[in-house]
Amino acid sequence: MADAEEGPTGSVSEPLDLVRLLLDEVVFVKLRGDRELKGRLYAYDSHMNLVLGDVVETIYLIDEDEEDEDIKTTTKKSEMLFVRGDSVVLVSPQTSS
Amino acid sequence: MAFPIQYHIATLYALKMAGFWTFFKTLIDHEVTIELKNDIQIRGTLKSVDQYLNIKLDDIQVVEELKYPHLSSVKNVFIRGSVVRYVHLPAAAVDVPLLEDATRREAANQAGKGK
Amino acid sequence: MEHHNVHDPPPHSGGSQPGGVMNTHGPPPPQAQQLPPQMFTTAAQLLDLTDKKLLLVLRDGRKLIGILRSWDQFANLVLQSTIERVFATITNPKDPHPRGVYADKSHGIFLIRGENVLLLGEIDLDKDDDPPVGYEKAEFGLVEKLANEQKAAEKARETKRIKKLATLGFEGENMGEILL
Repeated sequence: MADAEEGPTGSVSEPLDLVRLLLDEVVFVKLRGDRELKGRLYAYDSHMNLVLGDVVETIYLIDEDEEDEDIKTTTKKSEMLFVRGDSVVLVSPQTSS
Repeated sequence: MAFPIQYHIATLYALKMAGFWTFFKTLIDHEVTIELKNDIQIRGTLKSVDQYLNIKLDDIQVVEELKYPHLSSVKNVFIRGSVVRYVHLPAAAVDVPLLEDATRREAANQAGKGK
Repeated sequence: MEHHNVHDPPPHSGGSQPGGVMNTHGPPPPQAQQLPPQMFTTAAQLLDLTDKKLLLVLRDGRKLIGILRSWDQFANLVLQSTIERVFATITNPKDPHPRGVYADKSHGIFLIRGENVLLLGEIDLDKDDDPPVGYEKAEFGLVEKLANEQKAAEKARETKRIKKLATLGFEGENMGEILL
């Protein structure tokens, strides 16, 4: 993938330029509501609305049956997902895996 | 206009991306599943979308019907864009290279405006 | 309210418009191109629903049923013959499947501010009299009491969840403000 930190394909002068460099790369997205996504970034706009492909969503829950209420996670998959920007907390390159 | 324009989806994407509004217009009559910020999921045929990404769905079906009984006699819905968390899209109806290209153009436009 | 129709031809004329170019050059247009642009405004989306019996879901989880009589570009709505419908479940230790109950209360005319509307749906009049699957009608006072208890319990669970997850660096969405 393009090395986002060096920025060989264009300078990163404002935050969304980083997102531009991540197009067609696998990204990690943290959302409001204790959710995380991993998927390939196909589109974004200035509101940080996103379209991701081959998405794995991780939701963090607490196990209510347990006395100590451990954190558990569930995962869901989606082939193609539009994500509304107002839920997005952060977008990050996903180098490994 | 002096040059011939072939009005297929590519130009539609490129000419006026206007955020995701135009993108959603290309998905009209396709089946989508909308997940709201209150976790309810509604599947239906995309019938209309406006500039705020308010969405109208036809022939709706609620994914967990027993948990959300109030929509049982509803045939179509208007969903306020601001309450949407996700729209699950039919992958086959999305032309990925075109979408990426339109995104790059839109980004270039935005950069031009900013300076 | 604006008096136009979604089926009217687009307000623009020939040459500069995609349709005019399209007919002389290139492949047949995709369907989205042929739809008139005013189909894609908030007004057009609401126009179809005028004078229809609708179900509204509000941000606080309330469900209202009424006839849409007026609206504006902010999706502020006027409903006539409004009823509020509450839902609850009755759990019986002997029965693994909880029984659903619902009840209606009349309110008359309501003006609802657009931003409080989560979604609105057109009610299929053929199905209007059928109770939702697994639900039966009950006395309003009872259902309301149960619904309030269940809402409070849900809110307490949600608060606990958010508090727990906050210790791990998560932040709750809307702090449980948006309910069912």
